Amino acid sequence: MNDATEFLRPRSIDEAVAMLAAHEDARPLAGGATLVAMLNAGLIEPDAIVSLSGIEELRGIQAQENGGLRIGAMTRHAETAASALFRDGQQVVPHAAGQIANMPVRNMGTMGGSISFADPAIDYPPALTAAGAEIEIAGPGGTRRVPCGEFFLDWYTTALEPGELVAAIHVPPAPAGSVGHYEKLARVSGDYAIVSVALVLAMDGGLCSAAQIAVGACGPVPIRLAAAEEALVGSSLDAETLAWGGAMLAEASDPVDDVRGSADYRRRVIPRLLAKAVAAARAKMIEEAA
Amino acid sequence: MKIEDSFDVAAPRERVWKLITDPDTVAGCVPGCDGIEVVSDTLYRARVSVKVGPIKASFNMEVELTGETPPEEVRSKSRGEEGSRASTVSSENLLRLEEIDAGNTRVFYHAEVSVVGRLGKFGLGVMKKKAESLGRDFAACFKEKAELAETSA
Repeated sequence: MNDATEFLRPRSIDEAVAMLAAHEDARPLAGGATLVAMLNAGLIEPDAIVSLSGIEELRGIQAQENGGLRIGAMTRHAETAASALFRDGQQVVPHAAGQIANMPVRNMGTMGGSISFADPAIDYPPALTAAGAEIEIAGPGGTRRVPCGEFFLDWYTTALEPGELVAAIHVPPAPAGSVGHYEKLARVSGDYAIVSVALVLAMDGGLCSAAQIAVGACGPVPIRLAAAEEALVGSSLDAETLAWGGAMLAEASDPVDDVRGSADYRRRVIPRLLAKAVAAARAKMIEEAA
Repeated sequence: MKIEDSFDVAAPRERVWKLITDPDTVAGCVPGCDGIEVVSDTLYRARVSVKVGPIKASFNMEVELTGETPPEEVRSKSRGEEGSRASTVSSENLLRLEEIDAGNTRVFYHAEVSVVGRLGKFGLGVMKKKAESLGRDFAACFKEKAELAETSA
C-alpha cells in the first residue's frame, strides 16, 4: 500500500460496485486475512481499497424455503464452522471452515474473500464444489449466479470481472440422509492442504446412493468428475471401487511441486485420501443412525 | 526452477531456425512482451509483463545470446529487473531444433529460472505452472507464424 491508496467505506453493495468501477485497480477488502498480508509483502499495490465491512446485506447465513442456504460473502469462517443451519451433506462446508488455518484467521477471514482470492490450496473451493454451491456475483450490470465450475477458472483466477464482487454463496439442499465430510492432509494443523477431499455421500441399503466428490490443492481449480462419482454410486464403496474412482481423480489432477509435496506424491495421495474420507463419512452415518 | 517442453512445427528446420532467431518474430509471440530493442547481434532488450491473479509484475529484460550452432541450437542468458522493486528474474536457456522430416521440426526448450525478491515469496509451484502455460501460448503463436509463412512461401 502506498500514500496514494484511497481507503473507501461503502454502505451498500451498489455503492461498493460503483467505487470498484470508478478506480482502475481497486481491491475489495473483506476480512483482510490474505489481502493485508499481500499488501504488507508488497505483492499488490491497488489504487483504492474498498472495505466491505460496513455493508449489512453481505452478512449472515439464511436458510431458504427449499432447504438451501444463502451465505453472505462477509460471513467469517468461525461463524460458518459453528452454524447449525447446515443439514445433511451441506455439512461439508462448515467441516472445511473449521479446518481453515487457526482461530484468529477463522475470526477474521470471510467466505467471499477466500474464494475470490482462489488460492488452489485453500479449503472452501473443494468443499463448495462438492456441495454443488453457486456463487452470487454483484456487478455494474446487476447480479448473476454461477456454479463453482464456472467460478474457479485458473490459478488465483475467478470469473469475477473488474468492478464485480462476491455477494453471497448459495448451498443447495443435499440429498436426504447424506453426510458431508472434508478430509485434509496437511503438514501441520492449520497449514494449507497438500491434498484435500470434500465429500457429500449417501448410502441406501448398503449401497452408495449419492456421491459428490471434489479434490482440492491438486490443480488450478477443484477437481470434480462425473465419471468418478458414477463409479461409486450403486457400489458398496468397496476398496476396489474407491481405488478406481481415486485413480480417475488422480489422472485428472495437475498438481504443483512445492515445499508441501511433489506433484507425484500428491497424485499418489488422492486415492488414499478419498478412501479415508469415505471411511470417515460412513462412520458419521453410523454415528447419526445410532 | 526448471522449465522444459517441446512442440512440433510443420515447417522445414531451416525456416524454423530463421524465424526463431528473428527477434521481432520471437518478441511478437512472447506473452506480455511489448516490443524488442536490438542492441547488438547478441544483445536484446524487452519489456515483459506477467499477471498471476491479483499480482502484476513488469520486467525490463536483457537477453544475451551466448552461443549458437545453426540450424540446431541457441543458448542464451536472460535477466530482468522489476523497476525499483528489487525483484529479479534470471534464466539460462537452451533451444534445440530437431528435424523430424523434410517438412517438420521439433523445437525443444529448456530453461533454468530463478526468481528473487518480492515475487520469490509467492511460491515457485504456481509460478512454474504459469511459466509452463506461457510456454504453451508461445508455442501456439510461433507454430501459427511458422506454418503460415510456410504456406504463403
